Amino acid sequence: MATTAADLHAAEHEDHGPEKGLKRWLFSTNHKDIGTMYLIFSLTMFFIGGAMAMVIRSELAVPGLQFVHPEFFNQMTTMHALIMVFGAVMPAFVGLANWMIPLQIGAPDMALPRMNNWSFWILPIAFGILLSTLLMPGGAPAGGWTMYPPLILQTGDAFPFLIFSVHLMGLSSIMGAINVIVTIINMRAPDMTLLKMPMFVWTWLITAYLLIAVMPVLAGAVTMLLTDQFFGTSFFLAAGGGDPVMFQHIFWFFGHPEVYIMILPAFGVVSEIIPTFSRKKLFGHDSMVYAASCIAFLSFIVWAHHMFTVGMPLTGQLFFMFATMLIAVPTGVKIFNWVATMWRGSMTFETPMLFSLAFVFLFTIGGFSGLMLAIQPADVQYHDTYFVVAHFHYVLVPGSIFAIMAGAYYWLPKWTGHYYNEKLGKLHFWLSAIFVNVTFFPMHFLGLAGMPRRIPDYSTQFADFNTIASIGAFGFGLSQLIFVAVLLTAKKGAEADDRVWEGAHGLEWTVPSPAPWHTFTTPPKARIANEAFE
Amino acid sequence: MDEQERKKRIRRTTLIVAGIALSFYVGFILVGVLRS
Repeated sequence: MATTAADLHAAEHEDHGPEKGLKRWLFSTNHKDIGTMYLIFSLTMFFIGGAMAMVIRSELAVPGLQFVHPEFFNQMTTMHALIMVFGAVMPAFVGLANWMIPLQIGAPDMALPRMNNWSFWILPIAFGILLSTLLMPGGAPAGGWTMYPPLILQTGDAFPFLIFSVHLMGLSSIMGAINVIVTIINMRAPDMTLLKMPMFVWTWLITAYLLIAVMPVLAGAVTMLLTDQFFGTSFFLAAGGGDPVMFQHIFWFFGHPEVYIMILPAFGVVSEIIPTFSRKKLFGHDSMVYAASCIAFLSFIVWAHHMFTVGMPLTGQLFFMFATMLIAVPTGVKIFNWVATMWRGSMTFETPMLFSLAFVFLFTIGGFSGLMLAIQPADVQYHDTYFVVAHFHYVLVPGSIFAIMAGAYYWLPKWTGHYYNEKLGKLHFWLSAIFVNVTFFPMHFLGLAGMPRRIPDYSTQFADFNTIASIGAFGFGLSQLIFVAVLLTAKKGAEADDRVWEGAHGLEWTVPSPAPWHTFTTPPKARIANEAFE
Repeated sequence: MDEQERKKRIRRTTLIVAGIALSFYVGFILVGVLRS
């Protein structure tokens, strides 16, 4: 085998590990270190966004205004969404991608390691700026994460900071996506053809293309908001001849694929875990790839289902309704394949598998309520009610976040070299699974009964279900502290062997546990790569 | 594939993908300009 620059690099560095102290993290170009930083950042944001959710649920626990001013309530709903979407869920998947993609394709690192460092360190700056708006005159942005004009233009001093931080988040995501695409296209192990790639790598490749296409669209939309506010343009200002509805079209052209950006990598994680704990190959690997691609394509042509009540021609309503419903077909293929993988498998129920199974059940509930919302005449009733809140929280919490948890538990022994505390893991799962339903299921009933979203007070007829949801939310929030306990004790368990899980297959399980700082400095031999995937 | 060739490919893929991202950014602002 020819000597590569990677070999030379390895030879130069085999006598030392990472830098010591802060420099290791500040200047790191190592995919594992950067992955770790992404995951810790994401968990921090998850707790900050979660604390805001607790403020929201405290206020809504009983009718009337009790704890916060309505204006602050609106700031909380807006910031909670921005932090959870851009600060918690997306960086968590980028962290998993950083850790696992090079290990799964047999690459020594990401293709553009310096840019990788930059794309991470932009994030704390972006969220530092966003969180600082809470202390500004006029408070944090309160017009909703969708930033619809003209309402968002009434934001106080926070407005330019909001726009700048959203630009930075977008820049970070785009650079991360470029890195993922370039790495997967150019750095796979010899003979690892595209269709031999693991599902997590595949779903991330598709997600990265979605990010490349839609994050610049969000950046364009907020740039236009900025020029409308400060430079005298009228893109969205009706008084100057602009069109506020155009913002909604542009925003949702970004916003709907964004939903799949947050769920496709989750599909990838679950597609890795279910075969391992069923001790079978993934059923229909290629059809899973085609289904994910199909979902990604459809996500670009359904955006206006978020805007049915704005008004559009009948043909538009029909098109967006049927196109949206069509997404159920490739999604159904995926659910079928996961169930078929488990069928007659030798299943065991370790924590990652429990989270994955809950994902399959509960994400499907979110999918079904999505189908209900896709029906245009019915959506007129559901729009802007708690039914929508229930729907997207079912997709994002027991969907994306459960998959992130499943992935973290699944790969944790590979990262630390030790098995985590399985009892704590299972306790974390069961409390999360119970409380997530206690929190979000009653919201379906509230929405169907007509309770609007984004309000700090409500009619007494909605009192009981709101109290139940608030109890559930506090239970769910506290349950997540168990995950912190699992992480703090992660190195205290028994030592993990290379394969970690009996049924695991893939290149990442051929390296020692914990994965050394440098891996695959010489590409794995084709035979090993192929065996790992067969 | 030797390292030189790989680097060339990495640079090419990066430029193509970054170009796509930039064109979406400029393109959608142009949509705004043309519509308003």
